[in-house]
Amino acid sequence: MRKDLRLELRSGESTLALLALSMLVLVVLVFALGAARVRSVDAAAGALWVAMVFAGMLGANRALLAERDNGAIRGLLLSPLDPSTLYAAKLCAALIFMAVAEVGAVILMVLFFNLDFDASMARLAPILVLGAIGFSALATLLSAITGRTRGGDMLLPILAVPIFVPALIAGVKASAAALAGAPFESMGDWLKIMIAFDVLFVTAGYLLFEHVVGGE
Amino acid sequence: MPAPVVETRSLAKTYGPAVVLREVQLRLLAGAGAFIIGGNGAGKSTLLRILAGLEAPSDGQALVFGQDTRRLAARYRRRIGLMAHQSFLYPNLTARENLEFYAELYSLADPRACAHQWLGRVGLAEVADTRVRAFSRGMEQRLSVARAMLAEPALLLLDEPFASLDHDGAEIVAALIRGAVERGACVLATTHGIPEIDGVELAVFEISRGRLMQHAHKEEVRRGGRIRSLLGR
Repeated sequence: MRKDLRLELRSGESTLALLALSMLVLVVLVFALGAARVRSVDAAAGALWVAMVFAGMLGANRALLAERDNGAIRGLLLSPLDPSTLYAAKLCAALIFMAVAEVGAVILMVLFFNLDFDASMARLAPILVLGAIGFSALATLLSAITGRTRGGDMLLPILAVPIFVPALIAGVKASAAALAGAPFESMGDWLKIMIAFDVLFVTAGYLLFEHVVGGE
Repeated sequence: MPAPVVETRSLAKTYGPAVVLREVQLRLLAGAGAFIIGGNGAGKSTLLRILAGLEAPSDGQALVFGQDTRRLAARYRRRIGLMAHQSFLYPNLTARENLEFYAELYSLADPRACAHQWLGRVGLAEVADTRVRAFSRGMEQRLSVARAMLAEPALLLLDEPFASLDHDGAEIVAALIRGAVERGACVLATTHGIPEIDGVELAVFEISRGRLMQHAHKEEVRRGGRIRSLLGR
């Protein structure tokens, strides 16, 4: 993971792309929704999650892209490194990239949707963390599959977004409630869905990654 | 009789209808140096990838250190060094950072000192802090050899180690191969021609139409018309 972060700090390609994409999505949605809905927390939560999903896909793709240059993934698979550890490292790297994009997206959301920086932002944080873990876990696993195929970059959103829909709906609903100032207890069911999704896909990635990259 | 480091039993590899390797029987002991010659697409690289555990055979068995290469545990993988066509190096890391990264992966005692030592051995000490993306093909090849030999593997698999190298580079790699054989490693390399490595008795195999044949001596290979043309003699 240290190597991934060093590569990213050196080039800054992923972080800049993630922030630019988040900004683009939010700007487009602000103009599409019009002035009447721009102070709606539902619209803001929806726009934030759309930006997050796009940024997450880009981040997961980038995390494994460095390993495909010069076949470095084979060097890793041949080493004593446990493939599950490799998955954990890639997941952490994708998660860090996504967290950076989320911070940027939240700031832009507050600015574009005329929201206030108040206690609701603190309530939003754990929801976004849960969403980022789930989506990074799913996208890291799927990008290991799609990266081996021609046109894999196109395939990733087609596979990832439908699978992520339950957590996406839960995330949007919980985020809208948090921005509206609702207490955590009222979002319990949505948070449970997100936690279940995280546990499911982190475990699946940890167990399956070896088989997914094994035939590289 | 010592256990072989490499052993294949009726090994076969097919890609769809294309048969790349068939009935390959190979047995190499520790301290053995062997070269496999053959034309483009003969199956040399495929054989090395199978022995490294990166590809599964379609039929038969490949064993290294007595273990089936389909399920090589970490403690056996760490004893294999592979230099393939792709360098396995990160273009945006420097030569030193690449070697330090792999030294850490193999849990070597002092990754920095190890990287420094190997950069010197392959004649890249002066460009240690240059990113690999700025390297010529030959320099990248030298660094790739250093990466493969970093952990002093007991089995060294080299896919065309002399390709893209100038005279000095070829001498360096030849000396490293000699050193590996002398310390008891088993070295299996593929090549189009047969290099001279002083002080090392090399076994020579040829892959033709997917079959592996052993030549008793380098001279026997050179006498063969087809091989002579391969070598440009």
